Amino acid sequence: MSDSDTERRQKQRIAGELEEPVREANHLARKLGLDPFPVKYWIIDYDEMNELIAYGGFQERYPHWRWGMAYDRQQKQTQFLGGKAFEIVNNDNPSHAFLQESNALADQKAVITHVEAHADFFKNNQWFGLFADDPNAAAMLSNHADAIEAFMDDPEVDREAVERWIDHVLCLEDCIDQHSPFSTVEGEGVERDLADIADQLDSLGLSDEVRRQVFDEEWVESQRPEEEAGSFPEEPELDVLAFLRRHGMAYDEDAERAVEFEDWQRETLELLRRESYYFAPQKMTKVMNEGWAAYWESMMMGEEGFAAADEFLHYADHQARVLNSPGFNPYKLGKELWEYIENATNRREVAERLLRVEGVTWRNFHERIDLDEVQTALEPDPALDRIAADRLDLLDADDPRVDAEELARARADDVDVNRYPWKVLTYEGLCERHYSLVKPQHRGFLKRLSQSDLERIARYMFDDARYADVEEALADVDRCAGWDRMREIRESHNDVTFLDEFLSQEFVDQNHYFTYEFTHSTRDYRATSTDVEDVKKKLMLQFTNFGKPTVVVEDGNYNNRNELLLSHQYNGVIVDARQAKQVLKRVFELWGRPVNLKTISKQLDDHDVEVARRRDREPVPEEVGLLIRYDGERITTEELPWEAVEHLAATDVDYDTKPDEWLA
Amino acid sequence: MGLRDDLERYRDVGEQRRQDLSEFIQYGDLGQSLPGEVKIPIKIVDLPAFEYDQLDKGGVGQGDGGTPQPGDPVGQPQPQPGDGDEEGDPGEEGGEHEYYEMDPEEFAQELDEELGLDLDPKGKKVIEETEGDYTDITRTGPASTLDFERLFKQGLKRKLAMEFDENYIEEALRVEDWGPDEVYAWARQQNIPVSHAWIVDADSNLPDDERDRWTSIDEMTEHVERESPVERIRRKGLKQVPFRREDERYRYPEIVEEKEKNVVVVNIRDVSGSMREKKRELVERTFTPLDWYLTGKYDNAEFVYIAHDADAWSVERDEFFGIRSGGGTRISSAYELAAELLEEYPWDEWNRYVFAAGDSENSSNDTEERVIPLMERIPANLHAYVETQPSGNAINATHAEEVERHFEGSDDVAVAYVTGPEDVVDAIYTILSTESNDE
Repeated sequence: MSDSDTERRQKQRIAGELEEPVREANHLARKLGLDPFPVKYWIIDYDEMNELIAYGGFQERYPHWRWGMAYDRQQKQTQFLGGKAFEIVNNDNPSHAFLQESNALADQKAVITHVEAHADFFKNNQWFGLFADDPNAAAMLSNHADAIEAFMDDPEVDREAVERWIDHVLCLEDCIDQHSPFSTVEGEGVERDLADIADQLDSLGLSDEVRRQVFDEEWVESQRPEEEAGSFPEEPELDVLAFLRRHGMAYDEDAERAVEFEDWQRETLELLRRESYYFAPQKMTKVMNEGWAAYWESMMMGEEGFAAADEFLHYADHQARVLNSPGFNPYKLGKELWEYIENATNRREVAERLLRVEGVTWRNFHERIDLDEVQTALEPDPALDRIAADRLDLLDADDPRVDAEELARARADDVDVNRYPWKVLTYEGLCERHYSLVKPQHRGFLKRLSQSDLERIARYMFDDARYADVEEALADVDRCAGWDRMREIRESHNDVTFLDEFLSQEFVDQNHYFTYEFTHSTRDYRATSTDVEDVKKKLMLQFTNFGKPTVVVEDGNYNNRNELLLSHQYNGVIVDARQAKQVLKRVFELWGRPVNLKTISKQLDDHDVEVARRRDREPVPEEVGLLIRYDGERITTEELPWEAVEHLAATDVDYDTKPDEWLA
Repeated sequence: MGLRDDLERYRDVGEQRRQDLSEFIQYGDLGQSLPGEVKIPIKIVDLPAFEYDQLDKGGVGQGDGGTPQPGDPVGQPQPQPGDGDEEGDPGEEGGEHEYYEMDPEEFAQELDEELGLDLDPKGKKVIEETEGDYTDITRTGPASTLDFERLFKQGLKRKLAMEFDENYIEEALRVEDWGPDEVYAWARQQNIPVSHAWIVDADSNLPDDERDRWTSIDEMTEHVERESPVERIRRKGLKQVPFRREDERYRYPEIVEEKEKNVVVVNIRDVSGSMREKKRELVERTFTPLDWYLTGKYDNAEFVYIAHDADAWSVERDEFFGIRSGGGTRISSAYELAAELLEEYPWDEWNRYVFAAGDSENSSNDTEERVIPLMERIPANLHAYVETQPSGNAINATHAEEVERHFEGSDDVAVAYVTGPEDVVDAIYTILSTESNDE
C-alpha cells in the first residue's frame, strides 16, 4: 500500500470518527438558536494546515512571496510554541472548515463547535452581506490566482514586475470604503459614463431640435470629468484603490513619464481590491465574531458536556491557553463582552418584572426586594438542570420547555440522553438550563443592580402589567431574553458599533481594562485611565478603519498639475511618518506622477519636554500641517499653514486619555 | 507556482530587503537586539501602510486580577488586535516584526565592508594550559602518558645485554680441571654477562662423568659454537622483557603560548541635567554598534559602564542609557573611576577602549587640568569622546574641542561630533578608523 493510500485511510478513519460530533454539534447549535451556513469539514495533515493558514485559509491564491513568509512564520510558531488545535473556517456558503488530523478528539470537537458558531455569524451578520449574500470565495480566489499566474507566465510581462505591482497595491489594501457594498469598477470609466449620458438622452425622446440646441455634443463632452482643469473628486474618495483604478497611471522609467496602465496592471489592481472587500468584514468583526465563537464553543463544550468527561480536562486546558494569553486579547474581550450583554439583558428583564410588583418603585426597590432570594428563585428547574435516563419521568411532554418528540424517542431508548441530555429540551428549555444570572461565575451580577440602573429602567417602562408579589413576577421572567438579544446584536453590529454601544463602566471595572499612553516626560508607557469613555476611545482607535488612520483622495489634479493629493483625516493621533513616506513611493508607481500627502503632525522640542518634566507635567505638543511629497526621485516634507489642513483636523474627538494633571 | 515557489521568492526578497546596516544604525530599532545577537528588521515583512504612530497611539490593556491606577508604569505595550491580520486563530500572537539575526562577528564583518574598516585586533592575554604536541618527557606522570614504546625498547636492550649462552658456559665447566672460579674469570674476559653464583649453581648440577670432556678451553671453543643472543631469542622466543622503573618515561605536552584577543570597553556617559532626550538617544545609537562591533572582533569582550554627573558611578548595561540625574558635570570623575576599574584589566593582558559621550559641557578647567592628564595616564588602544549636541553648540561646551586640540594627530584619541542620527555612522567610522593598526 502506498503512503498516500495509508494517509487517505488515516484521514478516512478520522473523518468517520468525527461524523457524529459534526452532526450533533450542528444539531446542538440549532437548538441553542444559532442558524449556521452548512459546513463542509475537511481533514488535513499538519503541513497542509500550516500551508492553509499561510494562504489566508484558502487553497488557491495568487503567487506571492508573502504566503511563503507566512508559511515560514507559521511553521516556526507551531514548531516552537507548540501551537495546535487550529481552526480555519471560510466565509462561504457552504462554509469550509479544516481539521488537523493529528489533533486529539477533544480538540476536534472544540474546533467543530467553534466553527458552527462562526458559520452562524457569517450567515447572519449584515456586514458579511456587503460583499455578497451568497459568497463563493474559494472559486473567486482561485480565479484570481489563475489570472495572475497567467500574467506571470506571459512572456511579454516580467514576473518580478507583476510581483512588485502586487506589493504596491497591497500597501493600500485597507484604503477602501469598507462600509459600502462592494461593486466592481467598470472598464473605461469616463468613456462609459459619456456613453451612458448619450443613451439616457436618447431614451428621453427629445426632439432633435432640443438636442441640437441644448444637449449638443459639446454639452455631452462638457460632462466629461475635468481632468485637465479643476479638481476632482468632488467629495473626498475613501476608496483609494478604486480611484487609482480609474485614474491612475504607471510610471515608465525609460520614457520618464506616466503611461496608461497595461491590462494586467489594471486587472491585478481590481482583483486585489475585490479581495480587500471580501476580507474586510472579517477584519471589521474580529472581536465580535471570535467572541461569539468562543462563547458558544464554551457553552457547547463546557456547559453542555460536548466533550466527554475524559476529554474535558484536555479541552479546558486548551481553552485556558487561548483565552489567557497575557495582555490585551481581542478574543477574550469579545467573549467577556458577549457574556456581559447576556447578563445585563437578563438582569434588566428581571428588574423590569420586579418593578411591576405592586408597591415596588425604583426608590424602594432595595428595601422591598431581597436579591439573594430572587437569585435562588431563578435557579433552573432541577428536572431541566440534571437530565439523565433515569430522570426522564420528571419531564412533561406538554411542557413547552421539553421537546416532546425527542423525549418519546429517549424514553424508547433511541436517544442516548446521558450523552446528549440537551436533545430532550427545546430552545426555551435550554435557556432556563443555562440561565446566566445563576451561574457561579456570574454570582453578584444581579446584586450589583444599582438604584440609578433601576431609575433608568423605570423611566422607559409602561405601567401595564402588575404583579401581586415577587413570585408571580419572577414566573413571568423571560429567560431567553439574553440569548435573543445577543442574536439581534450579532446581526447588525460590527466591532466599532459593538464596543461603542455595549462597553460600560461596570464592564470595564469588572474586567480590569485600562488605557495607557506613552509619556514623554518619563519615556515609558503609563496607565492613564480606567474610565469607560477613555477605554472606549482607545478601542475605537484600534477598530475603526481597521485600526489605521483614514487616508482619502482629496484631489486628483493637485495644483493643476495632475498630481495626486491624499489627505490624512486627522483624529488627534499622528501617522507613522516613516511608513507613510514608503507608502507614497509605492503610490507613485500607481499614479505615475508626483504624489502628496497632507497630514497633521505633532511637534515637541527637547526644551519643552524638559520643562514639562521638571514641572511634573506632560509637554503639550504643537500641531502643524505637513505636506509630504514624492516626485519619483525625492521625498520632501514641507510645513503648511494651518488653514491648509484645518479641514482635516478632528474637532470633536480627542483620543488622548492622559489626565490633565499628569503625574501631579 | 505554489508553496515552494512562494517560499523561495520570500527568501530571495527577504535577503534583498534586509535593512541597510547604516540605515539601521541611524534609525532602526536597536532595542530588539541583545549584546550577543544583533537583530536587524527586515523591511518586507510588513509592507508599509498608512499606520498610526506607535507612541502617539496609546492603547488598552487588561489587568490581571486588578487594574493599574493612572500614572502606574505598564511596561511595553501589549499586542494589539489588528497587528496580525489573518482572520485570526485563537491564541495567535500579535504581529511581531521579523528580524534578520546577525551575530556580532557578522555585524563587524559587514560593517567593515560597508565602512571600509580593517581593525585587526591583537591577542594579548596569555591563556595558560593551552597544550601543544606531547613532545616533552618526564620521569613521572599519569599512566596514560607513559611512553611504552620507549620502555619496551629499553627493556629489550637490557635483556639483550643480560642474555648469555647458558650451554656455552656449561661446556666451559666440562673442561678438564676447570671449576667455577676459572670459568667465571674466563667468562668475564669474554664479556659474557654471567654471575658467579649462576656458574656455581650450574657446576653443582653437572654429572661427574662429563667434567673432562674437553682437555682445554681452546679445544672447547674450537668445537662448540657460541650462539648469539639474537639467535637465541629467535629460537626460544621472547619470553620476558625486563621492564625497569628507571626506564619509564612519560610524555608531556609542549606548552604553546596562545594569546587571547580580549578587550575591555569602558562606556562613559554624561547623565547630568543638560543631557536631554535626543542627546541620550544619540549616545545609544553611537555606543551600541561600537559595542557590537568590538564584541564581534574580539574573542572575549567585557564592558564597563560608567554614568557621571559631578560624580561617577558604575552601572549595569540595562540602566546605562536610561539614567538621568540632576547635578552638574565633572567629566574627570568618570575617568578617575575608569582608571580604578581598569586595574582589574591590566594593560599587558587586555586591549582597552575608553569611550565617553556627552554634550561637551564640563566644569571649568576640569578638561585641561584633570581629564587630559587622566586620558594620558590610562593606557588604551583608543580613547574616544563623542559630542552630542543636537541643537548646535552651547557656549560652555568646549570639552571635545579641547581634547581634540590637545591630542591632534594622535592615533589613539578620537573625537567625533554627532548632532543627529545622520551623523552616527560617520562618528563610528571616525572612531574605529583612528586606531593605528601598524605595530
